[in-house]
Amino acid sequence: MEVPLFEFAECMNTDPGTVERWIRQGRIPVKRKGDSCIFNREVLEKWAAAHNIRFVMPGKARPGEPEIASDSLVAAMASGGVHYDVPGRSVSEVLRAAADRLEGLPDRESRDILYEKLIDREQMMSTGIGKGVAVPHPRTPLQDKAVDARIGVCFLETPVDFRAVDKKPVDVLFVLVTPSARQHLHLLSRISFCLREDAFLRILNQRPDRERFLKAVAEFENRLDQGVP
Amino acid sequence: MAAYSKFKRWVGASPQWLGGDDRLLLIAFGALVGSCCGVAAVVLNAGLHAMEGLFAGYRSFWWAFLLPGIGAALSSVFLEKIIREGAGHGVPEVVYSVSRHGGLLRMRSMFSRLVSSSLTIGSGGSAGPEAPVVMSGSAIGSNIARMFSLNERQRIALVGCGSAGAVAGIFNAPIAGLVFTIEVIVGEWTARHVVPIAVASVAGAQISRLLQGNQIPFTHLHFDVAISTTIAAGGLAIVTAAACIMLTRALRQSHHLSGKVPLPLWGRAAIGGCLVGIIGIFLPQVLGEGYHVIQKMVEGSFPGGFALVLILLLAKIAATSLTLGWGGSGGIFAPCLVVGSFSGLMYYRGIDALLPGILQVNEGCFALLGMAGMISGMLQAPLTAIFLIVEITGGYETILPLILVSVISTTICHIFEPASFYFRDLIEKGHYLRPRTDARVLADLQISELIEKDCITVPKNMSMGDFVKVVQQSRRNYFPVLDEATGEFAGMIHLDDIRPYLLDTLLHDTVFLEQIMSAGVETVDIDDDLAEVLDRMDDTGSFSMPVVTNRRFVGMLSKATLLDKYRKELMLQTTD
Repeated sequence: MEVPLFEFAECMNTDPGTVERWIRQGRIPVKRKGDSCIFNREVLEKWAAAHNIRFVMPGKARPGEPEIASDSLVAAMASGGVHYDVPGRSVSEVLRAAADRLEGLPDRESRDILYEKLIDREQMMSTGIGKGVAVPHPRTPLQDKAVDARIGVCFLETPVDFRAVDKKPVDVLFVLVTPSARQHLHLLSRISFCLREDAFLRILNQRPDRERFLKAVAEFENRLDQGVP
Repeated sequence: MAAYSKFKRWVGASPQWLGGDDRLLLIAFGALVGSCCGVAAVVLNAGLHAMEGLFAGYRSFWWAFLLPGIGAALSSVFLEKIIREGAGHGVPEVVYSVSRHGGLLRMRSMFSRLVSSSLTIGSGGSAGPEAPVVMSGSAIGSNIARMFSLNERQRIALVGCGSAGAVAGIFNAPIAGLVFTIEVIVGEWTARHVVPIAVASVAGAQISRLLQGNQIPFTHLHFDVAISTTIAAGGLAIVTAAACIMLTRALRQSHHLSGKVPLPLWGRAAIGGCLVGIIGIFLPQVLGEGYHVIQKMVEGSFPGGFALVLILLLAKIAATSLTLGWGGSGGIFAPCLVVGSFSGLMYYRGIDALLPGILQVNEGCFALLGMAGMISGMLQAPLTAIFLIVEITGGYETILPLILVSVISTTICHIFEPASFYFRDLIEKGHYLRPRTDARVLADLQISELIEKDCITVPKNMSMGDFVKVVQQSRRNYFPVLDEATGEFAGMIHLDDIRPYLLDTLLHDTVFLEQIMSAGVETVDIDDDLAEVLDRMDDTGSFSMPVVTNRRFVGMLSKATLLDKYRKELMLQTTD
């Protein structure tokens, strides 16, 4: 088969110059024709195995590639759901209500586990990050219960004292559930970027409906993606 | 022409139908190259005889001592002015080309050394025809490989085939051809090389037998080798090793000395040749390749006593260093054989004078053992010496003392002269790159293959605040700084150096990158030698360096990537 030199170098996970040299030196069972490499796939795969060199044809997933935290806030919020008039007068009550409302959890048991973990985390240190917002989350990723990252946006019925850093009562919760610590950081930094904008806080105060809210978040995310080089 | 291009295409396609294996192809090419080299060896032999015949008529004149000078000068002019190749005996050139250029040799090398060495040796210069014929054979192999667009690995195998065919042809010694090539030229004992080279040896020897008969170069009477001979061989090794060291140093000294003479190369060659001619007036045995002298010694019919042989030994060393060190063309092989047989004979006569009758064997046996000791010491290739001497004398009965004298002589020489005669210059210039060694892997890897290009460059007028945002997006600790006006490389920023200030927001708008970058960083050029760059990295203790060519930043070179690529290369070069 015939593959462009550049692509072939990627299959070998090496530099095109190296592949060129290998062909010239006759170290690899590949012929060159202009800018492409001609080889018999079976022969080459056998050769690669004998030399303990990785050769992956394009299209096949490379094993062991790290997952990339590319999930956007909007996607996470859409799968976690936007909830209005979440009841409760204390931290534990609102967390219980939020855990019950978060979309995508399979059963009652996992909601209980989530609630306990949220309380655990809250007891260590408040997740109230100021400006009337709290980001309750478990300290460790949920064990295989939550498959993908999700954020439950909960507008509270009545403001609750979260012992936040700025002592303001909290009226919006972003319940953050992620499968990995890396995604957790990724989403948290995006939330924190949005909260730095006064415009975003004004939108939060208006308690817009689900569609308008997600659209606004998407706009802020867009600015985040393009704003920084 | 159409048939040639069709065949070339067929050769190019062969790996496919042979399951990616080119061994059969190499065997076929080996036979072809070996045959051509057999012919070249015979031609050289004939050329030498013709030259000797030509010059023989003038030997009786009073000015005959000028003959070697004229021959050497002509050969120097031929090499330097007409062919435009450097002097030298050829073997290091072949080894260099095998290790550095994938066995690439010039077409003119196929005959240049044959002509020049015929001139030198035929006129009486003390040198050998073997290295020139090795060079020719290798060039034949290399050019046949080029004609068929073979790759470097195949070309190296064919260069080896050429050298083996040539040695096998000129000595009628197929095993010596094979062993010499593997031990000295190729340096890699793998089936991939041994098989085609063995075939080429067979072909070379067969062609030479076909054209000039199946002769053993130095026939001798039967030797009754007793235990006393084997024990005495140990002592002989010391004598041959001493002779080796003398010859090596004499060659080097005379080369140095000739370098100081303010004359063109051919002028120096002429002076050296004339001096050889003057020695030849008194001791004609030292002239030429000297094979008839060896024959007499091996037969045991060499006249004179201990003193004459000692004088001849020294005279031969002097004549050889005057010929080769002053610019004559030829190899060291034949002079080694002559010096070796002189030292063997001298040793025998010395022992016999002190303890008459203790060595119950003809003195020819010791001439033969001396040759083995000399060759193995000079080339530091004991196997070549053992097989060569057995084959050119047909003296298998001497194998026990032969092995002993070869290995001991090699060892002693190695203590005083760690590098063999062929490799010394290469080692000094850093060109001695044997397969499967660190030096070889590093020489193959080019810096351009190792560059990491995914670095984020920053302009030197960027503010610290903007830079912090860049750092957020980056996965690296190094940031090359460019001059945005010219695009030239200005310096480097390493996160470790500026970490304390990164979080200080007061500095974000007041400090520019130009003020915090390291300006005088060491850089690497894309064409630099990797081994040297690594030495520099070790000296400075750095793990990565910017690659800068024509003041432009190209990428980063880091030890982490290097390990990855180095390992891959090593796996590729060490598994067959």
